[in-house]
Amino acid sequence: MQEEYKKNIFDKIADKLVYGIASFISLFKKDWKAKNKSKMEEWRLMLYALNRSPPALIGVFLVIIFILLGIFGPRLATWRYNYFPSLYTMNFTQVVLAPPGSKAYLEFANTTITYPLGADHFGRDLLSLILSGARTSFVVSIIVISLGVPLGIVLGLIAGYKGGKVDELLMRITDMFLAFPALILAIALSAVLPERIQGFIESHVLLQKFVLWIFALDTREAGNLGRLLSVILAMIIVWWPVYARITRGSTLTEKEKLYIEAARAIGLSSWTIMFKHILPNIIGPILVYITLDFGSVVLMEAGLSFLGLGATPPIADWGRIVYDGAQYFPKAWWLVFYPGLIVMLVALGWNLLGDGLRDVLDPKTRRSIEFKVKKAKGEGEENA
Amino acid sequence: MPEPILQVRDLTVHFYTYAGIVKAIENVSFDVYKGETFALVGETGCGKSVTSRALTQLIESPGRIVNGEVIYHSEKGPIDLLKLSEEEIREIRGNEIAYIFQDPHASLDPLYTVGYQIAEAIEVHGKVKNIKEGIKKAVDILRAVLIPDPEKRVHNYPHELSGGMKQRIVIGTGIANNPRILIADEPTTALDVTVQAQILDLINSLKEKYHATVILITHNLGVVAETADRVAVMYAGKIVEIGSVEQIFKNPLHPYTKGLLKAVPNPMTKIERLEAIPGTVPNLITPPGGCRFHPRCPYVMEVCKKKVPELVEIEDGHFVACHLY
Repeated sequence: MQEEYKKNIFDKIADKLVYGIASFISLFKKDWKAKNKSKMEEWRLMLYALNRSPPALIGVFLVIIFILLGIFGPRLATWRYNYFPSLYTMNFTQVVLAPPGSKAYLEFANTTITYPLGADHFGRDLLSLILSGARTSFVVSIIVISLGVPLGIVLGLIAGYKGGKVDELLMRITDMFLAFPALILAIALSAVLPERIQGFIESHVLLQKFVLWIFALDTREAGNLGRLLSVILAMIIVWWPVYARITRGSTLTEKEKLYIEAARAIGLSSWTIMFKHILPNIIGPILVYITLDFGSVVLMEAGLSFLGLGATPPIADWGRIVYDGAQYFPKAWWLVFYPGLIVMLVALGWNLLGDGLRDVLDPKTRRSIEFKVKKAKGEGEENA
Repeated sequence: MPEPILQVRDLTVHFYTYAGIVKAIENVSFDVYKGETFALVGETGCGKSVTSRALTQLIESPGRIVNGEVIYHSEKGPIDLLKLSEEEIREIRGNEIAYIFQDPHASLDPLYTVGYQIAEAIEVHGKVKNIKEGIKKAVDILRAVLIPDPEKRVHNYPHELSGGMKQRIVIGTGIANNPRILIADEPTTALDVTVQAQILDLINSLKEKYHATVILITHNLGVVAETADRVAVMYAGKIVEIGSVEQIFKNPLHPYTKGLLKAVPNPMTKIERLEAIPGTVPNLITPPGGCRFHPRCPYVMEVCKKKVPELVEIEDGHFVACHLY
């Protein structure tokens, strides 16, 4: 008698999740659920495979927390990032660099402020700053990944598929970018770009409003956007070459396959073949890479701010808090420790998730799970 | 007088590799007549597949069509396929000249349902408005290629089907647009023997049904005898003999053709052992001078080493490139 497949709590959540999404799609597309039964089953198995690996689950947990903080962080913060308690009291010592757990009474504002994680050199609450800073990290990583990665993928696809001179040209440009250490290039770019970007953003009011809104900043910060955006642009510029290279490599192997030739033989255009037949077949490893890279973007953004580039005070940014706090280290250790810890946890989360995804996206792992599930027959059907 | 549908003249394809220029096919000329099954025979690496792909410019870098013309007699008049732009040739590929590839396991995209892939082939030539309509048509095509339960199978992914079924799907994509010429590149090689006969029967019946012309590429002489009307024998990138099936099988002229036929068991005569042709296919970067077959030829003469033999007509419609004649 073989061991029965036991569903754990996460598997049940996975069942509910897949069922929920399927029902949601069925609201718009009738009988989607009936038609895509095997697809739902595949999703379920993917999630089951993910559940088999505790590190991946920790990764999922950390990433979900990061995303939630990124969305709701600025709202959760008790104090706005630009609320300077030192302006509301004569007794500076009770607010400036206040240690974790201390309290201060602001006589001009007639309020009491508590510092669960301590205060910075302006007397701002560190917890609130970290919460607000989550938005900055989150938005930066999303923008960099969603602009840099597609750019790299498209260029890589074209280079790999077209071959010959196009390939040579595109890959030499990519090599030029890769020859520079990414961090150095980003530093150079973010030192050069800010003024032009500032000028650009000031002449486009709507864009300015939008940027302020997604970063949850006050209108007062409009003058500081240039430096923040220049870091984003610099990171996009250093981010695409790696993807161009990976995509080109996979494209080269994929385009030799017979079904690509068959697709050419039925008269499909190059673009259709590239985006409909090659890209979906090579996207698996790229997805894993993207997930790992979310962590790297957060790290690099914090690194650049730590070097004094990017977000300028009072904009809350994890790297910037460490940079400013470093002068008071080790006395005010909390200014370095807590932001550093959260950056580490976020990067760790994305890495664990990426590692887990690698297993999940591998059909072989999925099949072994499938066999186990099928042994416990009947049980798997109840929700699907 | 049979009417030609495809006239290939002096087709030459070279591959520019690091090791040197591979002269994959050189001065290949043949005619294909309307409604016939034309077989291209030869051992592995002799340029059969390259020839078939060159017909619609499907040669990929580092290969290049160096010379030649392929006159296709379309309904609107003759056109040289090699002079068409990428856009124009795409209209012809899959629409008027379609391919069936060797390995059905590899020639379907694993990520799309078979119905989608057939629908895509129809949709790209504008014969249906969208994929959804194309899938409806795909059901009819699956029925035509004798797939049981086509309404269900149309939603299957390639990995859910057997090799024979997949080859039927590949044939289905080939005939989806009712092509005038169907190029079948070793359609039975990857299949087991019992399925091979079914697939050949299917190609034959579809050819009758749609009045198509078939170019069959194979190294299997049994398949040729079974299905072809005329045969071209290729050796090391050149055509050495062309004739009708009867002419080639009853009266083979070229020493290579004779050798090929001796290497196949004949159930009618009792033979003690099969004969092999000594030697191997020459390296096409530095092919032997003169007749390319001379190092392996049992009837080799001095002239064979120096002069390239031309195709000469020995009897009606039977050409051979050999200094013996």
